Order: sequence, then C-alpha cells, then structure tokens
Amino acid sequence: MRSSLPLVLAAALAGQGAQGPSWTAAAPGYPWSFPRDHSSHPGYRNEWWYFTGIVESEPPGRRFAYQLTFFRVGLVPGTPPFASAWAAGSLLMAHAATTDLESGEHRFSEALYRAAPLLAGFGAPGDPLLADCPGPPGTGGRWEARLEGGRFRLSMQDRRQGMALALDLVADGVPVLEGPGGLSRKSAREGFASLYYSLPRLATRGTLTVDGKEWPVRGVSWMDKEFGSSQLAPDQAGWDWFALRLSDGRDLMLYLLRRRDGTPDLQAGTLVDRSGRPTYLGEGDFRVRATGRWRSPATGAEYPAGWQVEVPAAGISLRVRPWVADQENRGGRGPHYWEGAVEVQGPLGPSGEGFVELTGYGEGNRPPI
Amino acid sequence: MTRYLWRAAAGHLRGGFALLALSALGVALGVGAVLSIRLLNQGALGAFAGTVRAVSGEASLEVVGTSPSFPEELFPAILAEPGVTAAVPLTRTEAAVEGARPPLFLEVLGVDLFAPARLPFEGKELPVAAALSEPGWVAVGPELARERGWRVGDRIAVSSGSRRVTLVVGGLVDFRRLSPLASRRLAVMDIAQAQSLFGLAGRLHEVDLVLEKGASPAEVASRLSRRLGPSVRVLSPEQRVSEASGLLAAFRLNLTALSLVSLLVGGFLVYGSTQAALVRRREEMGLLRSVGATRAQVLALLLLEAALLGAAGTAVGIPLGWLAARLELRNVSGTVENLYLLEGIEKVSLGAGEVAVAAGLGLLGAVLGALLPALEVARRDPRSLLASLTLEERTSRSAAPLLGLAVALVPAALGAYAVLSPRHPWAGFVLALAATLALPLAAPCLVRSLSRLPGPRRFSAGYGARTLPLHLTSSAVAVGALAVAVAMLTGVTVMVESFRDTVVDWLDATIRADVYVTTPTWSRARGEATLSPEVLRRMAATSGAVRVDVVRQTFARVRGRRVSVLGVPAGAPGAEGRVRVLGGGAGAVFGRLASRGEALVSEPLARKAGLWPGDSVRIEGPRGEAAVPVAGVYYDYGSEAGTVMLDLATFARIFGAGGPSNAALFLAPGVAVEPAVGRLRAELADEAVVVRSNRGLRAEVLAIFEQTFAVTRLLRVMGLVIAVSGVLLTLLVAARERRAETALYRALGATRLQAFLVFAGKGLGISLLGTLLGFAGGAALAGILVRVVNRDFFGWTLELHWPLSALALQALAIVAAGLLASLYPAVRASDAPATELSRDAL
Repeated sequence: MRSSLPLVLAAALAGQGAQGPSWTAAAPGYPWSFPRDHSSHPGYRNEWWYFTGIVESEPPGRRFAYQLTFFRVGLVPGTPPFASAWAAGSLLMAHAATTDLESGEHRFSEALYRAAPLLAGFGAPGDPLLADCPGPPGTGGRWEARLEGGRFRLSMQDRRQGMALALDLVADGVPVLEGPGGLSRKSAREGFASLYYSLPRLATRGTLTVDGKEWPVRGVSWMDKEFGSSQLAPDQAGWDWFALRLSDGRDLMLYLLRRRDGTPDLQAGTLVDRSGRPTYLGEGDFRVRATGRWRSPATGAEYPAGWQVEVPAAGISLRVRPWVADQENRGGRGPHYWEGAVEVQGPLGPSGEGFVELTGYGEGNRPPI
Repeated sequence: MTRYLWRAAAGHLRGGFALLALSALGVALGVGAVLSIRLLNQGALGAFAGTVRAVSGEASLEVVGTSPSFPEELFPAILAEPGVTAAVPLTRTEAAVEGARPPLFLEVLGVDLFAPARLPFEGKELPVAAALSEPGWVAVGPELARERGWRVGDRIAVSSGSRRVTLVVGGLVDFRRLSPLASRRLAVMDIAQAQSLFGLAGRLHEVDLVLEKGASPAEVASRLSRRLGPSVRVLSPEQRVSEASGLLAAFRLNLTALSLVSLLVGGFLVYGSTQAALVRRREEMGLLRSVGATRAQVLALLLLEAALLGAAGTAVGIPLGWLAARLELRNVSGTVENLYLLEGIEKVSLGAGEVAVAAGLGLLGAVLGALLPALEVARRDPRSLLASLTLEERTSRSAAPLLGLAVALVPAALGAYAVLSPRHPWAGFVLALAATLALPLAAPCLVRSLSRLPGPRRFSAGYGARTLPLHLTSSAVAVGALAVAVAMLTGVTVMVESFRDTVVDWLDATIRADVYVTTPTWSRARGEATLSPEVLRRMAATSGAVRVDVVRQTFARVRGRRVSVLGVPAGAPGAEGRVRVLGGGAGAVFGRLASRGEALVSEPLARKAGLWPGDSVRIEGPRGEAAVPVAGVYYDYGSEAGTVMLDLATFARIFGAGGPSNAALFLAPGVAVEPAVGRLRAELADEAVVVRSNRGLRAEVLAIFEQTFAVTRLLRVMGLVIAVSGVLLTLLVAARERRAETALYRALGATRLQAFLVFAGKGLGISLLGTLLGFAGGAALAGILVRVVNRDFFGWTLELHWPLSALALQALAIVAAGLLASLYPAVRASDAPATELSRDAL
C-alpha cells in the first residue's frame, strides 16, 4: 500500500462516482499476467508505480536513497469525446526525492499534469513506456518509467533542485502478490481494497545527481505497483507502511491504517521467504511500536520516528531507525508525507534496510483516495 | 480687521445669492464636464486592464498569438523554458448569447483546469468530473448569472462564428474578487471543451507565465521570443495594457479636449461674475482701504471669496460629473467595443484621486478666474475706487489692444502648428485652442462697436443694446463666454455632420452588394468568427443570386500597430468598387492586388505609419514578417488604427488557410432585396448568422457612428448651459447695478414696460453678439477640426459639409435662450421705483 496521493484534488475526487460509467472495483480473482500488468489499468480510478532504493556510489562508497513515483489519478472513466488534444480523463502526478545519507540532505520534486498527448501519459500493454510527463515547469527534460528488455528504466531531472536520476533496474524474479490473490484489503468494511504486487529486490545501476553533482551508482530497489478505485475508508486518516529487506534474504512488507482519531484500525503484511513464497500476516501476527517522535520544523506535523517490529512466529524482532530524520516530502500542490530510507537492526536475528512511508500526519493532510 | 473681512464675505454671500449661485453653477458644470470625461476615459482603459489583471494577475509574462492564435505544439517548449515556474494555457472565445437584447458576448476562457491557474470559482468543491466530461460545462460570473437568471444546470445557446454551441452552467467564477474592474462577461471552461466546441483544436491564444524569483522577465521574454518564432509575441501584462492605452489614446485625448473647453467656459463665468461683483462692491472696497485695510488683505478677501465659490461649485460639480459619466457610459462603452475592440465599460468608479483632481480644478479655476479682477481692485487707490466709472474706462481703453492680441494669436498659432505638426499629431489642437481664445479677446471691441449704432428713436430695446458698452467689462465677458460656447457647439456640429456626410458618401460608394451575411461574433472576434462553407454554398444557391463575395479578416502588426488585415477576391469582376482610392484609379490599383500580390493601405494607416505607394508594408504574420508593396491608399472610416487590404491569395500566403469572416451576395437585376433577405434568413436558420440588406448594414454602420459622437452632445449642451447662464448673470448684475439709473428713467416718465424692454434689449444684444462672434469662431474651429485635427490625429480626410439649416436652428435657439435668460433680470430691473433715485445717479 503506498501512496501519498497528495492532490490538489481532494475536492476533485470527492462526490463523484455514482453517475455514468463507473470505475472497476478491486475484487478477488484478478487474473494476473506479467508483463501486461506492469502497464496501466485505466478501468481503475487510481494506480501507482513506486520505485524506492538505496544505492552506493562507485567507487568512494557514498550512499544515497531515492524515490521515483508515478501516480495515475482517474477523474472520469475513459477519455471525454472532445476534438482536442487536451481531452483527458485522468491526471499524472510524479514525485521524486533523493537523500544523501551522508550529509542528510533530502530533496523533493513533483510534477502534475493532465494525461493528455502534449503533456503526460501512460503506455498501453505492449508499449515499453509505462508513464511519462514533463518535469516541473522551467526545469526541462521529461520524467519517464519504461520497461525495456527486462529492465525498468527510470529517468527524471529537475535543474532547479540540482537533482536527476537515470537508473536501470533489472526486472527479474516473480512479482510478489501482496495479499491473497493480490487483493490487499484496507478496511474491515467491504469495497476498500486494491490490487497490489511488489518486486522487492531489483538490482539497480545508473547515475544519480545530487546538488548538481552526478554520481555513478549501484544498489537495490523495491518496486511497488498498486491499482484500485477506492482505498481509504471514510473514517481512516492515513497509514504507516514498511518495506524492509532483511539480510537473511527475507522481505517484509507491513501496513497499519489509522483512524481519524489516531487509533489503529487495520494492519496486514506479507513476509516473503528466500524462495519468493509469501506468507500473509494478519491482525495478530505482528506488532509495530513507535520508539520515538520527530516534529517537522517546516510543516509542524509530528511523525513517529523509530520502531520496534516483531513477527514472533517468524522469529523476527527488529529495531527500525530513520537514516535521516527529515525525509519529509513537501510539495507545493498536495499533502506532505514522510518517505524515507531506514536502517534495520536485529540484535537477535537478521538486520537489513528499507523504506518507510508515513501519511496523514499533520492537520488536514489526509490523502484524498 | 480679519473679523470684518469674514463678516464682509458672509454679507456678500447673502446679498448676491443669485449671482453667486450662477457662478457656482459655472464652476459646477465645468468641473462636471471634465470629471465625467476623466471617469469615462479611465473606465475605458480600466475595464481592459482589470480584466487582464484578473485573468493574468500573477503572471509576469504572457505569450500571445500574433494571428491571434498559435499552434499548441509550442506549449511544451514554453513549459520547459528556464525561469518559468508555472505556465497556464488559455483559449479565448467571444461567444454571442443567442436572443440577448442588447447583444451579449461571453468571453469564454478555455483553461487547463489542472494548470496552477488562479481561478476564483465559487463554492467549496469544483465538480471536476463534470467540468472535464459534461459537454458545454461552463462557469459564469455571478453578477451576469443574477442578471440573466441563470442557475446551475441551465443551458445557454451561444454562437462563435456561424457555429452554434450549447453551454451548460456548471458553476460560478467571480473574477471581480481578483480585480474589481474585471469584465462580468468572463466565463471559464476546461480547455479541451473550449477547443472542441469552438473549433479551436490545436490552437492556443495565450499562455500565462509565472517566473521564479529573481528571473528577469525581459530576458525570459527575449529567449522565448527567439525560441518560439514569429507566431507568438511575449509580453508583460503591463505591455498589453499600454498597447490598449495606445489604441485608445486619440479617442481619449479628443474627449479630454472637448471637456477642457467646458472648463474654459466655466472659468470665464467665474471671471465675469467676480468682475461684476467687484463693480458692485468697489465702493465697499474703497471704504475698506480708506479705513486701513491693506492691499494684501483686500486681495486675500476677494480670492477667499472666489475659493469659497469654487468649493461650492465643485461640491455640485462632482456628483454632476459622476451622473454625466453614468449617462454616457453605454455610448462610450459601445465605441470602445465597436471601434477599438476592447473590453466595454461596465461601471465607472469615483476614486479619491478623481475627486481630488476635480476639487483642484474647481478651486484653481475659480481662484484663477478671480485673480485678474481682484488684483485690479487691490492695486487701485481708495479714491479711484470710490469714484464711479473709472473701472469701465480702463476696460474700454484696453479693448483695442485685446483685439490686437486676438489678431496676433493667428500667426502665432500657425507658427506653432508648423513647428509641432510634423512630429506631434495633436498639434492641430493648438490651432483650435487659439481660435477659441481669440473670441473673448475680440469681444470687448465688438461690444464697443455697438455705440456706433445710430441713436435709437424710442426708449426701448434698441436703447438697451446700444448702451451695452457702458458696462463693457461684464457685457464683453458675457459675450466672450457665449461666443466660446457657441463656437464649440458650431465647430463640433459641423465636424460631426461633415463626418456623417463623408461616411454616407463612402458607404454609398463602397457598400454595393445587395445582401451581407456575417456572424453575431464577427464584430468582436473578426478572423476567429468565420462562416462555415455550408453558409456560402447556400448563399450561392439562393434564387436570384449572381455572385458571392467573401472577405477574410484578421489582425496583424504593422510597424508596431495592431491593424486589421482584409483578404478580398481582388480579381473578381467589379471588385474595385469596394474602395475609393486616393488620387482615383481604383481599377488599375486593384488589378495589382490580384496580379502582383500588392496591398492597399487605408488612409489612417498611410498617414500615421507613413506608408505610400512605392513603399512596402511589413506585416508581422504567424509565419514571420511579410513585406508587401503598397499599390495605393484608400479612404476608410471603419478603423482608426488602419487597415491593409490584400488579395485572398496573398492573405492565405501570409496567414494560412481559413474561413471568411463575412460574405456579400449580389442579386440579379430586378430581384427584390428585402424578400431575398427573408428567404436567405429562412435558409440559414440553423446557422448562427446575421443577414442584412444593403440598407440594413448601412443603417447599422451609421448607428455605430452616432453612438461614437453621442458623447459630444452632452458636452455641447453643457457648454451652452454655461454660456446662457453667463447671459443671465451679466444681466442680473446690470439690473442691480443700474437700479438707480432705471429709477431715474422711471422718474423721467419711462413706463415699466419701457424699462423692461431696455433690459430685454441688453439681453438680446449680448445673445446676438455672442452668437455672431461664436459662429465666426465656430467656422474657423470647424475648418480646423475637419481639415487639420481629423487628418493629423485620426488620419481621416473629411469633406467639409455645412449643415446650414441645423446651424440656423441652433442660432435661433441660442438667441432665444439668451432672451429668455434676460427676462427675469429685466423684470427685476423694471421693478425699480422712482423713489430709488439717488443723488449719485444725477
């Protein structure tokens, strides 16, 4: 579960749906097929391609974290039948972030365009293009995610922020379905769910530009792909999400949804063993306890910072700690959220690294999905 | 002493109330005239500037099309330009609301609703899905919605060109929240809908750019201009407003000049009343001086009185001016819309600045008007103030030098004109000003000449007129003021009539087809409002049709001016009939449009831009600059900015393919026109078109013409009211002053009727002299306005026409008004009983 769907469009998305052709709901029994399902699913209202990774420069060994995300935000099903290249039924929103894990410098950039031929779009199955759009105005270049020759090719640049990515991710391995049949439930109530899969360990190499300086890098990325039409239930405020790669070869994905009053609502997760076989975790199968807090000086939002994660049946007991305190993504055009690299220490078992996402913290900051 | 001065001033105010009320009225009318014109002038530009501010308020730069749209493929390059932080693409469409009387045009902005634009939608949530997908979804201004009773969900039938479109009110958008002067006609829809519904696929009109802090707008603009090529211009919002202000400059200056004449006449009135009051009060001033008042104190007292007068006049003049501005709003707005294609004025607002200017003018005018007579009194010694008649003698002595000055003004003004005119188009106003100023200077001599009339046989009106020179100062001022007003009235009347006749001749010569078909939005959208091929096909197929002529029209820039460009089928038989060429020979010249691809330029453009046969007119089109040789210059009164006429093929070479803006139908001889118009209307009922007969079109052009000059009517009337008040004022003073004299006549046996007639005779004398002098001045002014100002300023050659019967009627009306104004003073005077006889008068 991922997404900070920050949007201008809290308003846009509210109050629609009943009339006209409607969106497809995420339902059990979805017939998965790859690589077809890497491409977009315009029948569902929302969809996102989420790439996060921790990479190291070659040689001197400087470490960076990065994030590149493309969101498809459906506004009306299909494309309105107008004689215009601007006719669009959806928006494309893209977020990119880099963190220099040594200096602690975190940069964020975002782009938002209507999905129309002149600007932004999503490729159909068979098209190597997954998603592309222009960078933020005045920065030049296009942001893209492609799937070519078994590799995800990611690129973005923002001259103003002095940041750029050009990375190749080897797309091998079988996608992990995050939930039985790939259906990821978000609420005890019916109808709040998404279709969700991950590729947790993608060998990554390419270049990363931070503060105007280009670094050749290599490392490992996590790819998440989710689509659905209705995720967050009305009484939910946000979620904490963990994607952790453990040193013993297992991968752990956990999410915890919170109600508007801050109390926990629903939690679930997937533990993937070294052979790629998932075990689905439910309510009583794991515990996550925050061990610290961090208040953003920029937005005033207070986030948990540092956790104790226990999966007793799997012998997992982890201390998860943000690599850098301030990895808050603050854009001009949507809710802010925390998305950052974490270090994992397991005094009694495996250690590791990963990413955590924290949404819905701070006033009036609920993701509009 | 100071306390006395105040008391004296108060006493004076009480004593001469009618007199003071009149001079205050003079100030009030003068201030009102100037203020109303200032308000309208400001409104004319304010509406445009307010709309630019509301739509592009945050933008530092605007990319606008030259023709006037440009290909949307340029958008990504604009978006990527370094320094840009936001780019909002727009289309603009003038959409005529069907069935609206008076005509109503929505200015529909097609905006990318997801670009970071500042759109002041009302209500909490914008129904984005409906805006994107419900065909015709539009947000309109709340004021307009209230006015028209539109509610969410209502359908509005509109047209753009001959295309009919149904809009659906989906919400409200209030640009007046961003800029109070923004047009209430602004409406917003999603850009995809706008392009699709109005036939603009692939085209944008504007991209508003917000720049990052520290970026230089000039540098970004020049980089973008280079990168994007000639199909766009990159401007700051200020540049756009100043271009509009350049378009309106001549129109605004013209109005200002007219209003200043009113102020001048008002100033005369103050001068006259002060002079008159001083004649009455000279003994009082003499006494004051004898008991120790200094010259400075007397001067201060008189100027203070004048200032109070000015304040009273201003207090009345400000509401008056505001009222006049509101009355004229529709006419001026119509002119701004029709002739200059700018935003119409929806309201005028009276700001503190305008009040201050009006108050300043009123006070300064009153004090300046009183300054000369007050100085004159303050300078004198007490003895001469206490003796009678010396003041009049002095004026009488200066009559001849004043006339000399008037005569000397002529060569001086001509010299100034010769020096200024090559570079300043307003130089003609110097001549007009001189002609106006010469009149009051000539007035004393003219009044004095009355004493040379043969002595009257009876004690009646003739005696009254002949004795006018005895109170030369006040009568000369009254005659002068009246003359200035009459001259203005006459000059403007002759100019308007000359203009009308010229336009009628021009229409006769050039509007020759039988039926004209255009679209409701043509007058505002020109090249963007086109006729569909279906309309042309049906026109050609209608019974009795011989030939269909089309005109394509657009705007382009020539030497930095926005001019209208016409494409006509120059090779068609009889095509040369559509113009009259300077120097004649339309046939040969027109041949060169078709055979050599040359151009005709309209007279205003030729004169202002200096483009004559043999030159090349460089037209900045969407594909770059095209140099077209000028074949000739033609008379045109339709556009002050100027017009270039090309053959359709040349037009298409410069501007690309496109539909015609309007079409003309020639009928076979003997086919009745009005029934044909009716038939064509029925055949084209499903298209948004306006079908007019030759006569209908001509009537409409003349109506626009009348509207343009309507504003002069109010000014003319105001000037005349001021002047007639001057006559009343002068006679009131005379009645009061000559009370003793009248008493003497009565004592000597004159009847009340005789006394009455003597005064009525004075009124008649002033009116006749003023009218006579005014007509002489008016003739000169008319010549200057028609032959010099219009040619230099607007670039129009007008034929001088003298509407003699109208002028005669005007003269009669003025004399009658003067006579009427003298009735009350005459009655007052004849009331003087013989017992008022004093020793002084003997």
